[in-house]
Amino acid sequence: MEQLLAALFQLFEPTHLAFLFAGTLLGLIVGILPGMGGTSGLALVLPFVFTMEPSHALAMMIGVLAPTTTSDTFPAVLMGVPGTAGSQATVMDGFPLSKKGMAARALSAAFSASLLGGIFGALILSISIYYAIPIIMAFGFGEQFLLVVLALLMVGALTGDNLFKGIASCFLGLIIGSIGTAPITGDPRYTFNTLYLLEGVPLVVVGLGLFAIPEIVGLLDAKGSIAKSLNTKKGWFTGLKDVVKNWFLVLRCSTLGCLVGALPGLGGTVVDWIAYSHLKQTTKDTSQFGKGDIRGVIAPESANNAKEGGALIPTLIFGIPGSGNKVLLLGGFVLIGIEPGLDMVTTNLDLTYLMIWSLAIANILGAGICMGFSSQISKFTLVPYYILAPVMVSLIFFATFNINRDWYDFIGLLSFGIIGITFKNFGWSRPALLIGFFLSSKVELLSYQTQAVYGLSFLSRPVSIILIILCLATIVLLTKQKFDSNYRSDLIQGKLTQIYYIVILLCLPLSMIWFTSSLDYRANLFPISLSIIALSLLVFILIVKIADLKNLSFLNNTFMKFARSNIFEISGNFNNQLFYYLSFIGFLLMNFIFGFPIAAALFINMFILFHNRKAYVSSICISAVLMVILWSLSSLLTLQFPNGLIGLFIDLPWWLGGQLN
Amino acid sequence: MSLFSFVSIGNADVNFAGKTVTWVVPFKEGGGTSRFARFIQPFLKKYLPGNPDVQIMHIPGGGAIKGSNYFEKNAKADGTFIFGCSTSVIVNVATGNPLVKYNLSEYRPVVLLPQNTHWFTRSDLAEPHDLSKIKERKLVLYALKTPASADLFHIWIYEKLGIKGAKPIPGLSSSGGYQAFLRGEIHLSSHGAANYVKKVKPEIEKGKVVDLMTLGIIGADGSVSRNPLAPNAPTFPEMYEKVNGKKLEGDDLEAYYAIGAAWSQASKAMMLPAGASDEIVKAYRDAAIKMTNDPEFKAKAVKALGPFPLIIGEEAGEIIKKAAVFSDTTKKQLNAALKKHKFTYRVQ
Repeated sequence: MEQLLAALFQLFEPTHLAFLFAGTLLGLIVGILPGMGGTSGLALVLPFVFTMEPSHALAMMIGVLAPTTTSDTFPAVLMGVPGTAGSQATVMDGFPLSKKGMAARALSAAFSASLLGGIFGALILSISIYYAIPIIMAFGFGEQFLLVVLALLMVGALTGDNLFKGIASCFLGLIIGSIGTAPITGDPRYTFNTLYLLEGVPLVVVGLGLFAIPEIVGLLDAKGSIAKSLNTKKGWFTGLKDVVKNWFLVLRCSTLGCLVGALPGLGGTVVDWIAYSHLKQTTKDTSQFGKGDIRGVIAPESANNAKEGGALIPTLIFGIPGSGNKVLLLGGFVLIGIEPGLDMVTTNLDLTYLMIWSLAIANILGAGICMGFSSQISKFTLVPYYILAPVMVSLIFFATFNINRDWYDFIGLLSFGIIGITFKNFGWSRPALLIGFFLSSKVELLSYQTQAVYGLSFLSRPVSIILIILCLATIVLLTKQKFDSNYRSDLIQGKLTQIYYIVILLCLPLSMIWFTSSLDYRANLFPISLSIIALSLLVFILIVKIADLKNLSFLNNTFMKFARSNIFEISGNFNNQLFYYLSFIGFLLMNFIFGFPIAAALFINMFILFHNRKAYVSSICISAVLMVILWSLSSLLTLQFPNGLIGLFIDLPWWLGGQLN
Repeated sequence: MSLFSFVSIGNADVNFAGKTVTWVVPFKEGGGTSRFARFIQPFLKKYLPGNPDVQIMHIPGGGAIKGSNYFEKNAKADGTFIFGCSTSVIVNVATGNPLVKYNLSEYRPVVLLPQNTHWFTRSDLAEPHDLSKIKERKLVLYALKTPASADLFHIWIYEKLGIKGAKPIPGLSSSGGYQAFLRGEIHLSSHGAANYVKKVKPEIEKGKVVDLMTLGIIGADGSVSRNPLAPNAPTFPEMYEKVNGKKLEGDDLEAYYAIGAAWSQASKAMMLPAGASDEIVKAYRDAAIKMTNDPEFKAKAVKALGPFPLIIGEEAGEIIKKAAVFSDTTKKQLNAALKKHKFTYRVQ
């Protein structure tokens, strides 16, 4: 109890509050930008947190995570586009309400429901911390191994549009994660004698590449921002009253959100739908759903903020992330030297409490800012994406360089960028890939450790049996709900491209087997087993795809119908997205020649003017403002800009990319 | 302390006024070497002639090789570059890692911060300070992060104490290993001094855990004394004598000194690059001595750095040489232990 209060007082020190506030603002902004969410937001701040004190860094990271599911309501209600995956269900009734002129009512109901949900989540988290020690002590190597594997399978099964593609994404992630030094023998695996691959690609690079780049490209392609501005200031009070009247619904959905959040894999993507269907099942009069029932906003919004508290439980006590943004949070823990597990509820309890308070306060701050400045913030949805995109890309490059000051990281970024774009377009699961990548070394080590201590007997331990039953039940229940009769690939063009894409994917496990086969068996057992599973899955998917394309008859049974659902998937115009992606490679070349500051200014101006020739005033202003921000950031944090080729011939000052010192 | 043999005299030739000293730390923020550097940083600015700014530059990666190689390539010998060394940096050299491009034994150490390792077990497995029950067990599991690190020394230590059932569980950090130890999954565990005080002492007081031994504190003359944090626990040489019935000597003693230098005496270090002039080294050593006499340092040092006094002066250079260059017999001993446990990794 003392520590709980001490953590609160610590948080109210001006520096902590400032970091929390900065994080919250960033979280609000990435929440508003459609498609960007906590994962991209965290990936952007992670390269900078490791120069901070742990408690500051934690306040900032939680600040980024907490309010994204609050501010994502703006695009959901105003534009009918979910700001993050967690607000898809909000669109169902939020957008019709806004069309009826009741946008303010919908927003205020959503924000207050978010606020209550978020605080409820923080409360549940702080209670469960008290009971964590016996749970941690009951989870030995065997149970942890099972927990990790089952979590992975669940993520794969539930985040993809097609069950098999989701699970295959997991295994591809595990394979990529096994690149680098083999943990048992120290042999280099798949490194081609480079120091860069020996360490493995940095997590932040993978996160930014897989999540931020595809979203930016996708939104440029969609050419969004046709939002109506907030046309009424009335109705704020009505929204509040709605929430008070439906307090029991808020409580039920928050509980649901917490529970679902704590189950790995379910986290962000389905919690809003679960709350929405719970609402439908428990309401007598369902006639207004989908047409603008305020309860359809309250239910998903309270659930999707409550899930953050729930999702932190497995993250903190087992180090097992339930969603993409928790992977990056755990990556942040590593950077500031915190190890999840027993320490979080014993010696580092103060930091855990600090996170819980940060979560509660960030939710209050976020909801408060959203309500207080709603008309100003809603204008954010009006900014054309061709202005935001080059700024985001410059920030991503700046962040990437500051992880290790290594040019190879740019190659990593763009490689994972193209993986992310293709995965997103062709309906493979990016969260599953990221979580697989992150958990790979853990799975490998736990399998050896389990074998050394228990052999196979770990499967008969009581906790293990409970885990297996729980996991199977969840997968069966949810896949039934999720994949029922939504075969929609008849409309899709370019199916051949997707078939060729699998052939490219096949190269990864095949080459992994090739390059590791000569190593000691303790170094290659893990990657080769993974590769064989991935190969079988990919070949199976390939067969289903070809059969679907040719409409072969053996598809007409229940199992194959299930396997076939969403086997093809395409979102947006792939060629357009490829074009924008190529412009990022152009930006990298400019960096290489001129160094970052000149390249960024050039890129922003060129990009904006390419889309709108008359916008030169804004393009010049925006690039100038960005540079001033980056200059002050780098002198504050002693960061360095990528140094270009011309820096070798001309002695540049540091603010143009010259050497510090 | 008798270690501070230098009398500080102001040196007119060396002056860092207006300059910035870059302290390269080849680890991530928040680790032990980073904390060591951060603690010393303000005192260094205060006592170096000309009060230069001291900035810490973290270059983690490659098991400390990346940052160390960066330092070797980029550091100027004019005193504006210093290096944060640790056991892993030394072990990379001592075990002949082919990626190492830094010539550590030529570096000029300024300050060494010693550490010490404690071994302990569960109270139901052994009496305090007594290995006999452990030695009877068929299977004695312990945590080992990777054989290509200082953890390699555990293999040698258990070998020399004749624990036949000892079997390493790979890939466990000291914190993860300690958790598994508390869950009853592994039998022997060890910790450095700071975590010993924070995490192990409370369990010993509860009666769940018992001390076995410590590595021992090696003096300048080669004598080994007990660790003040666990004064009743025998040191490794004492335990060796009890188990084997003969004094620790010959090749075993030589290996012990090498391991002790790398693992314990030079656990953390601040160094100037090879080629730094004697004047610069002296200016730094003088600043370090002044630092240890600073009342603020005296007040905070034990909590921040642990109970073991800093080593400053020529002696530090000898320790680094001993730690970074393993003799052929020591390498042979380590490789024999590795081979016995079927590791493919070898000390080169």
